[in-house]
Amino acid sequence: MANKAPKILVFSTEKISDPAIDLAGLLKMHYPPTVYSIPLRCSSSVKSRWIMHAFEQGFDGVFIAADGTDCSYGESCVDKTAAIIAQTHEMMKAKGIEPARLKMAALCSVCAEPFVKHMKSFYEALSKTPA
Amino acid sequence: MENEVLTYDALVVGGGIAGEETALNLAKMDYKVLLVEKELSIGGKMILLSKVFPTLDCAACITTPKVSETARHPNITIFTGSEVKGIEKKGERNFEARILRNPRYVKEDACTGCQECEPVCPVVVKDQYQFDLVGRKAVFVPFSIANPRIAAIDIENCSLCGACEKACPSDAIDFSQEPEEKTYQFKSVVVATGYKLFDPIKMPRYGYGKHKNIITSMQMERELAPTRPFNTILRPGDGKMPDNLAYVLCTGSRDHTVGNPICSQVCCMYSIKQAQLLMGALPMADVTIYYLHIRSFGKGFNEFYETAKGMGVEFVKGKIGKISEKENGNLILRYDDIETGQVKEVEHDMVVLSVGILANDEIGQVFKTQKLEFDDYRYVKQIDELKRPAMTNIDGVFVAGAASGPMDIPDSILSAGSASSEAASYLAEVE
Amino acid sequence: MKNKIGVYVCHCGGNISDVVDVNKVREEAEKIGGVAIAKHTIFACADSSQKEIAEDIKNLGLDGIVVASCSPKLHLFTFRAVAERAGLNPYNYVHANIREQSSWAHSDDKKGATEKAIALVRSAVERVSHSVAMEPVSISAKNITTVVGAGVAGMKAAIELADMGSQVYLIEKAHYVGGRTSQWGELFMPGETGKSVVSYLYQEVNKRQNINLFTGAELVSKKGSVGNFEIEVKITPRGIKKDADTSGLEKAIQVCPVEVSDGFNFGITKRKALMNYHPGQFPEIASIDAATCTQCGKCAEVSEAVDLNLEEERITLQTGSLMITTGFDPYEPEKSEFGYGDYDNVITLPQLERYLELNGQDLVVNGKKIRSMAYIYCVGSRQPEGENKYCSRYCCTSAVHSAIKVREKVPEMTVYHINRGIRTYGKQEVLYEKSSKNGDIYIQFNEDTFPEVSRNGKHTVVKVNDILTAGKELEIEPDLVVLVTGMIPRKDNAIGESLKIPRGRDKFYNEIHPKLRPVETTIDGVLIAGVCQGPKNITESVKSSLAAAAKTYSLLKREEITLEPIMATVDSEKCEACDKCTTACPFGAFEFIEENGKKVARVIESNCKGCGMCLPVCPTDAIELSGYTNTEIEGMIDALTESDY
Ligand SMILES: Cc1cc2nc3c(=O)[nH]c(=O)nc-3n(C[C@H](O)[C@H](O)[C@H](O)COP(=O)(O)OP(=O)(O)OC[C@H]3O[C@@H](n4cnc5c(N)ncnc54)[C@H](O)[C@@H]3O)c2cc1C
Ligand SMILES: Cc1cc2nc3c(=O)[nH]c(=O)nc-3n(C[C@H](O)[C@H](O)[C@H](O)COP(=O)(O)OP(=O)(O)OC[C@H]3O[C@@H](n4cnc5c(N)ncnc54)[C@H](O)[C@@H]3O)c2cc1C
Ligand code: SF4
Ligand code: SF4
Repeated sequence: MANKAPKILVFSTEKISDPAIDLAGLLKMHYPPTVYSIPLRCSSSVKSRWIMHAFEQGFDGVFIAADGTDCSYGESCVDKTAAIIAQTHEMMKAKGIEPARLKMAALCSVCAEPFVKHMKSFYEALSKTPA
Repeated sequence: MENEVLTYDALVVGGGIAGEETALNLAKMDYKVLLVEKELSIGGKMILLSKVFPTLDCAACITTPKVSETARHPNITIFTGSEVKGIEKKGERNFEARILRNPRYVKEDACTGCQECEPVCPVVVKDQYQFDLVGRKAVFVPFSIANPRIAAIDIENCSLCGACEKACPSDAIDFSQEPEEKTYQFKSVVVATGYKLFDPIKMPRYGYGKHKNIITSMQMERELAPTRPFNTILRPGDGKMPDNLAYVLCTGSRDHTVGNPICSQVCCMYSIKQAQLLMGALPMADVTIYYLHIRSFGKGFNEFYETAKGMGVEFVKGKIGKISEKENGNLILRYDDIETGQVKEVEHDMVVLSVGILANDEIGQVFKTQKLEFDDYRYVKQIDELKRPAMTNIDGVFVAGAASGPMDIPDSILSAGSASSEAASYLAEVE
Repeated sequence: MKNKIGVYVCHCGGNISDVVDVNKVREEAEKIGGVAIAKHTIFACADSSQKEIAEDIKNLGLDGIVVASCSPKLHLFTFRAVAERAGLNPYNYVHANIREQSSWAHSDDKKGATEKAIALVRSAVERVSHSVAMEPVSISAKNITTVVGAGVAGMKAAIELADMGSQVYLIEKAHYVGGRTSQWGELFMPGETGKSVVSYLYQEVNKRQNINLFTGAELVSKKGSVGNFEIEVKITPRGIKKDADTSGLEKAIQVCPVEVSDGFNFGITKRKALMNYHPGQFPEIASIDAATCTQCGKCAEVSEAVDLNLEEERITLQTGSLMITTGFDPYEPEKSEFGYGDYDNVITLPQLERYLELNGQDLVVNGKKIRSMAYIYCVGSRQPEGENKYCSRYCCTSAVHSAIKVREKVPEMTVYHINRGIRTYGKQEVLYEKSSKNGDIYIQFNEDTFPEVSRNGKHTVVKVNDILTAGKELEIEPDLVVLVTGMIPRKDNAIGESLKIPRGRDKFYNEIHPKLRPVETTIDGVLIAGVCQGPKNITESVKSSLAAAAKTYSLLKREEITLEPIMATVDSEKCEACDKCTTACPFGAFEFIEENGKKVARVIESNCKGCGMCLPVCPTDAIELSGYTNTEIEGMIDALTESDY
């Protein structure tokens, strides 16, 4: 299918960003249904190989909904997550995957609106990016 | 029962959200609790609601797990269909209560809730758990998410034909059951008997009970609930789907003529909630709320009110004088439009009366040695409201939830929290 | 791999089934390998459904279950308990969130929502097929609570916790207890005063051996986790010696050359650096405000009780839980907001409360006897734009009540209430009625036409469109304008930042769920109560703090807490002892041991919080987190991409 809807995998966190995604649902704020989330304990626990696996399996974009400074496990979470993203970007380049397909943003537990905005714009961008 | 426990740390009277929360809190502190509920199921008013403000969670989703947790907790014993007949205080941490357990005429451990008995029963009466919107049989499972979810026979209306007995696959029907009254000992008592609803029959100018397409807000809760009687929103008069509904706020509240001068605290919000739900269920319908003041004061409430305005719910500041019925069942509301200062008439095809909350003071008769005090509006009196909000005039007797005044669910839960803490301190006190 | 998985798809009484085709989801689930049974149910959480699931587990010998319903934040524990009751390890149950993240989020796209629900169920089945049984871990916990903030909420919680049987540390930042309540005179409803409430609570706190009160104290850092926190508290000295002769202190206050605006009176009076906070203060001892004291030494010359060797102290406390009751700040209007700061007869409601206390039998503001006054409501609350969209809840009642108090002093006062719909909810309604009967004039405006305050010569003019008289434009010239200011979260949020307490849309601290868990936060063992969670009056604050006390006590009383067994494990075959995990772990959960002659990393279970920060740093991918293993996560990804919808 030429105009197949882009698929986005969101790695969220159980205590902070996944509640924001839930809140978006509660408030009936719509975003594309091809956005799926896998909640982790903390955003800095995401492995590069999982992200790469998602691309290999056909996800068009991966979004890390990071805890930001709200993370209950410690401040270092943001930097650590950023480092993982940077490292994964390198791996993506090596495989010829556009680094823009992996994004990260910090989401607080009530950041429903920012989440929806991120999803919509990421979705838009991915629809335009050639596979 | 042979090994029946006759002494408990706490007696909780009333199994609504406040009673359940209190019982659970105390049970989690390892106190033994007896929860007495007069209805056939625990869950109070909340279990019969549709969705709940301000989060719009479905009431059942929030309350059924609480209900199950209560029902299942090893430290909690529940008597449904039961009444507290008399409470006597014998001394500190020493109460004696007589409790009457009315028979269900159905064996609790045998009934599976299959409802095979219902179709064969020839008696049809109004269903109190659907607020009379539909009928039910004399043998019936109270409602689909009742706890316990087993049948009971309404013996007053039963014709004793025995049809259910034959239909029951598990031989659960037992007409030989007798009421049982026993005395139990407690160290403390928590009154969580909730509230009563204002009966709009008392306001003849609105014509409730006479005009067919006027219902109460509680009936609308049932029409909107997931376990609803019809599968959609209907005018009771002719089964048509309404498309122009009106809400009349403060029905039976803030009104000296009906003897209730205070504000009911929840009706503005539940009406706004119902209006939002109606906009979803009947996308073409118009909903107008006639109000005096909108009291959306709690966390997230004002935002909820703004959302409703944004969705197109009409808010009219006006006092309703009289409601009359047209031949086609539509209703004419005559009202004082406060913003223009004129008396106006409008037509709606269905009217919902946002009935107020009234004190349930029956529990007063139960206290024998020392009278339980009530406030000016017949709610259980909080004698030290600021510093010990659950304390009553009797040491060792505490109050939780709407039994102490009108309040919404979040406040009832906090109030139950305070009753549990205060009761636990009382129980822990050593002389 | 499991081959007897049960899948339960919930309708949520329409919340899901109105959008998602639950039967199709069920049918698709049935086709997945390993699924033995797939059912749909109106309410998965209802008792009868729980029973049914439990019976299926027993009768069919299910080895894993998936419940597809609302967010796991609501019912994860409900279904874990179902599994447990039926003899299935709770970790062999996986939840699929098809309400918040499908039917509600995509109610505009039924087909898309159904496809997503199917994919989510597939991935949950995949996850459960790899899940392993785990046993919860028990740790010992201290039956000690630290309550932060000694306002009414904090003091009441401390008293009740002490009575129930806990040890309590009560930490108050100010040198005095009572918080905002000590600033108010006669309170609404039962006719008590702020002072009487605070004095009663302070005495009760003092009576109890198992409460340790620290004033001038602030929590600066926290380590550890629920059951065993270690906190560091900074104590600012009071500047007054214990048990010294205090007779010279009044004189010392007089000689103190520092004069600053008195925060207790909201700036309507001045105070010294050495001061008595207010007449009913507790503890009843003067104190030196370290922030404004210049260390000139004049006070020490006249009173030997003064101790200017102001050295702060740091103490470390062990505590099982933390309860935050830090209250609120009154909204401070912007300069020129309704003339505030421009005209000296425009004051706030908290300032009026102080004038009423300080004034005696009249109302005099800036030397002028007040005979007419206009309240403007909802200042800093219910804003159509920007922040503060919420209603502050206490202020209508408080303003109406203050007007009743004013009339007791000055019966001939003309009072205008320029409001946006009076919210004297519940029994407070009678105050509104009383004020109306007193002859107070109520004027109402809408959010599209706010009143304007201006000056015409010597007169202050309030212009307002009154919707109660058909939008008539009125001009009032009151002697005094009172801005009915709302409640805002404490501007100093150091404690919130250091504990990472989530905040809601209104910026007050946020509970997990307003009905299910109203006093708990996402940080285990950190509870919130009183106004720091959202606007409340005293009774409501006290109720919430008692509710938090009940939760805390049931958590700690057994001195044992069960924790989730989600932990990291190291594959010693792969481990090269590079030490990267030690650096990554914030909790010191790694140690090195010798295993088969090889140095390898090992996880210390009691320290591991299961955050997973160590996972990505291991160069040989030797670390896995139980429940989040490569097989589980990658299996879920595979399942999500199975259909090419
Ligand atoms: C139409 C309507 C809609 C509402 N919607 C919402 C909403 O969306 N959100 C919200 O927060 N709140 C809502 N409310 C308010 C909510 O119903 C109350 O806050 C809540 O039910 C109070 O709980 P309770 O346990 O104190 O009382 P109740 O629910 O009244 O429970 C009291 C229980 O005690 C039992 N009982 C009474 N007397 C005795 C006795 N003598 N012996 C034994 N048992 C006894 C009763 O049978 C009942 O089960 C609504 C109210 C109405 C009327
Ligand atoms: C003008 C006005 C009039 C009012 N009148 C009434 C009335 O008549 N009746 C009524 O019921 N309610 C009234 N209220 C509401 C009442 O003030 C609040 O309900 C009550 O003060 C809330 O108590 P609290 O303990 O939650 O917070 P607070 O009173 O704010 O107390 C919080 C305490 O925590 C301390 N603290 C803050 N940060 C820290 C920190 N980081 N570390 C340590 N300690 C800290 C503070 O110093 C303070 O002592 C009124 C409010 C206002 C603004
Ligand atoms: S809550 Fe609203 S409708 Fe109910 S009595 Fe109060 S003002 Fe009237
Ligand atoms: S309580 Fe009254 S004054 Fe305060 S914000 Fe709400 S509506 Fe406005």
